This record gives sequence, C-alpha cells and structure tokens, in this order.
Amino acid sequence: MRLMHTKLPDFIRRIREASVKNTPDMKLEIKGMENVQSAKLQSLRTGRIVNAVEEMAVSEGVDHMEILIRPRMPETMHTVIIKGYDKDGKAKKAIVETVDMLVPTEELDLFDCEEVIDRRPKMTVYSKI
Amino acid sequence: MAQLKYKLLPENSAGGILPLNVAIVDYADIQQCGLTMPQACQIVADNVDGPTAINIMDLTAVTTTSDGIMVPSAIRAMAASDRGKIHPEFGYIPMAEIEHSEALIQKEPHLRQWDINYPGRRLFRGPDVADKPVPVHNVVITGRACNNNSGTEMMHLVTMGEILMPYIGQHVIASGEGKLLTGMSGEHLSVGIGMTTAEKFGRVFSTYRYRAGDTAHGSGAQAKTLKRDIPCIVASKATHAGFVIAALKAGMVPGRDIGCSPVNLAIARAMHLPIDYDNITPRAWLELESVGFSREYLETPVPKLTEAEVLEHADEILPGVDNPQLHTIDELVQTCWAEVKA
Repeated sequence: MRLMHTKLPDFIRRIREASVKNTPDMKLEIKGMENVQSAKLQSLRTGRIVNAVEEMAVSEGVDHMEILIRPRMPETMHTVIIKGYDKDGKAKKAIVETVDMLVPTEELDLFDCEEVIDRRPKMTVYSKI
Repeated sequence: MAQLKYKLLPENSAGGILPLNVAIVDYADIQQCGLTMPQACQIVADNVDGPTAINIMDLTAVTTTSDGIMVPSAIRAMAASDRGKIHPEFGYIPMAEIEHSEALIQKEPHLRQWDINYPGRRLFRGPDVADKPVPVHNVVITGRACNNNSGTEMMHLVTMGEILMPYIGQHVIASGEGKLLTGMSGEHLSVGIGMTTAEKFGRVFSTYRYRAGDTAHGSGAQAKTLKRDIPCIVASKATHAGFVIAALKAGMVPGRDIGCSPVNLAIARAMHLPIDYDNITPRAWLELESVGFSREYLETPVPKLTEAEVLEHADEILPGVDNPQLHTIDELVQTCWAEVKA
C-alpha cells in the first residue's frame, strides 16, 4: 500500500537501495538520524531524495557518498525530560524542561563542494500571508 | 566606482576575545552608495572571509537599551555571513520601525525620553515578529556565524565562542565618539542584562514581557553567573553614564520607568535621584542582592554627586566588567572600504 508518509526504516532502505541501484560498489554513509527511533517522512520528498541519490551515485567522479540530515531551522526548541528510575527499572519521576538549540546552517557542509544544486522550496513565513 | 565604508572588528582581535568578525555599516553610507540594506550586507560578506556578524546602524535614529535607556542611533538590520554567503532564509533581518504615539508611550513609560531627549528621530529596536523565520530568538545564522538578540550578542557555532556587545558600545563604534572597554562581563553586567523594560518588538523579546522593576532571568543567585565569564566590548563607563544621566534627567525612575540594572541604580543612588524600591519584584531583589545591591545598601546615605562628578568618577561608581581595559576606537576597529560593483 502506498502511504502519504513513509516509515523511517523504509526511508533508510530506499536511500541505501538507490545508492547501489546502478552502482553496486557505491559506499554510502547516512548521518543525522542516529537518534531517531521512529518517524514518518513525507513520501513525495522521499521519492525526490531517492531520485537524487540515484543521480548522485552515477555522477561523474563520485566515488562514495554521504547523506547528511540537518535541521532546516537553525534554532530549534527542545523538550528535555529528566527521568529517574528505581532499582527495578520502574520510572519513578520525571522533570520536564525546555531548551533552545542554535546550530550552524547547511553552509558548513557545503563550503567544500564544487557544485551545489539547491532543490528545496522556499520556506513560508505564514504570518506574512 | 563607489566604495562602501564599513567598520570591522576582526575575528580573534581585541586580545583574542572576538570569536568571529563583527562589521558595522553606517546606514547613511549605504544610502550614499544607492544600495539596499541586504545588498550592503552582501558586499560586506563578499569582502570579509569567515564567520561575520553584520549590523547596519543609523545615526539619525534612536533606540533603547535592554534596561530602557534611549540612545541616539539604532541598528536598522542585522545579518550573519560566512565565507561570502548570507543564508537566504535565516541570514538577514531588518528591525521594525516603532511609530510614535501617545498610546505607545502610555504602555512604555521609558519612551517619555524620546520627546524630551531625541524628538523627531525614528525608533528601531528588534524585528517585527512577522519578519522572523526563526520563532524563538531575534537571531540570524549563516554557517558558523550567529548574530543574536538584535545584534548585541554574537556566537561562533562551531568553536562555540561568544561575545557580548551591548548597544552603547556599538553606538560608540558607529558614531566614532567615546572610548571602549573590553573585559569579562562580570556578575553585575550578568544581572543587569536581565533587568529589562517591557517593549513591543524589543531587542530581546518581541512582546511585552518583563516590566521595569522585574527580571527576565528569574534565576535568583544564579543570574550573576549567566554572562559573568563571557567577554564583552562595551562603552567606557563615562560614556555609558552620560546616556543614563540623560535618561534620569528626563525623569526616568529605575524600577518604575527604566530597568533596575545595577548601573542604573548606582547612578541614581550617587545623584540622590528617586528609585522605585517598592516596584522592584522580590525575584529581582534576589538577583540584585546576590551582587550586593540590597535595598539597605542602596538606601545607605552617600555624598550627593553632580553630573560632572559622576562622569569623572564613573569607573568607581558604575559596576560591571571584570579586568576592564580601556581602548580608543582605533585600537579595536578597522575602517574598511568595499568596492560597489555596478
């Protein structure tokens, strides 16, 4: 069944398959999803990413690949749960806090590239509509 | 061919305390070159390699410091650049113009200084929330460069170094009048930064949050440690005192109209001017007491000083900045010129 949103394991699998579809020896490293246990990802975007991975794999001079998944927003607000367990592993208590995190934008990963093709649609500031 | 002038504090300069480049461009020079503000920021980005915080300053405008002191200039826009790039979504933002009205001055009593000291000037502080793609801080980020709190707190997001450049010091750089202090921010400045006034589109907060007499930090004895060990570039204490005295002479009362920062309180105390002790919240008192500014200390009689005496002894009267070093502007700031391509 086709879903509007793709399951995380399918997202990873499809990227890996795309990298070796036409280039069986292609080495691929995915960075940035290490702590994501479960997620649904946009299916249309997943298809575009899969196509881009295939395209990159057959690009002239490409020997190996990285997929870097970074927050699009460079400042994000996070919930922090401080959780205590008893000796039997039963959760006793939680304190919930918040923290804002500022991270570099994608330029940091792009400075060393000879060519950058940016296919992202512009973000919409909804208050401007 | 036209040349755009900008002032540059290079990365690692000022005794190594600058974690990134800081560039200040005069709005009048941008107009003279026939440029828009984003174009001017891009020209600076093209000419300064590495992470850079860029502020455009208008010496014909007026702004407020976070503790409510009005100063005759304003940041009109801020940007962050890195290796010639300004992020198209997060790298640039203009500041909002705040229209003069009686209703506004009723809500923000510290703006009574506007008509008294700086009549007719256009007021700018922070950005319009509708312009903010980042919904949290008043911040711009490109690559490693981060320019935060409407251009007064800059960070390098890889080395994670940080510098505070409170507004009056930037006014000194842009105007070319006065001297600068470098050092560690220290406990009094750390507490004082939290003693804000409530403002629409303020430098730090976009909506009416923490009124004069309250604290935005709300962290008791910890507030003094928040910024204590962060390097800063500020105006000399005499220059800073001059602007605070102008506010006090306009009838501003610390704790009621302007923030109850240690600097505002210290000058009001020295000049025997009113302080609204009863309007200072218990949680603000906790922070003030942690740096020795208890009500008992503030009410202890001291000799009354004139304006001239406060300016002469500003280094002893105004608290803040550890291991301060006094510099001329030229010792810290380079004047640079960038080619404006047709």
